[in-house]
Amino acid sequence: MDVKLFGLIAEKAGTERMQLSAPDTDALLRALEQHIPGLSSLSYALAVDRKIVRDNVKLGGGEEIALLPPFAGG
Amino acid sequence: MSETKTHKKRDIFVEGPIDPAFIAESIAKHSTKHDIGAHEIFLGQVRADELKSPQGMATRGPATGNQQPTTVQAIEYTAYRDMANEQMAAIREEAFARWPITCLHVHHSQGIIKAGELCFFVFASSAHRQMAREAVAYVTDEVKKRLPIFGKEIFQGGGHQWKHNT
Repeated sequence: MDVKLFGLIAEKAGTERMQLSAPDTDALLRALEQHIPGLSSLSYALAVDRKIVRDNVKLGGGEEIALLPPFAGG
Repeated sequence: MSETKTHKKRDIFVEGPIDPAFIAESIAKHSTKHDIGAHEIFLGQVRADELKSPQGMATRGPATGNQQPTTVQAIEYTAYRDMANEQMAAIREEAFARWPITCLHVHHSQGIIKAGELCFFVFASSAHRQMAREAVAYVTDEVKKRLPIFGKEIFQGGGHQWKHNT
């Protein structure tokens, strides 16, 4: 699945997109932490289909996933 | 601008700073709506914050203990645009449900906005001042909290750090 990266996380990853596959969001986050240096020490939220999820959610593969660092609008 | 309570897909993002002339035009467009008695506006402007020891300074080399104060010269805004617009639609519905406002306009910049330029425009109109005032305060706070917008503070002389709302 396609994972969108933003802000500080995109900067650390050196890319704004990453292709990974995982059965659920917990597994996806473990995979992302392996691919993005320092991710585990950063503050971020995970969005599935443009909604922030906090609990583990099953993934079918077609979802829109995004890793969001702290917001700074306004 | 025919702002109605129907749920059109709206995009709040504008490329670059918000032009004060655009704000003036937005106000002028309401002159035909004679049920309006009050306009309330919030404008966000990029501030030249001074920082003593910013984190993530890419070009200042290792810390030497000789930390020169540095100033924010611009903020580069990026956004998860689809999610931000969806969140904005929800906030808009909440505002219309809570206050009898006639219309609500929200615009946010993307790209590099220099200190002193405008990056955020919230504009509500209503029959009387109190509801427009409360709606603008609510929408402004919720946008800051809920919209996935990211800000890179670019320093005078190089380097940057990522802004976050508190």
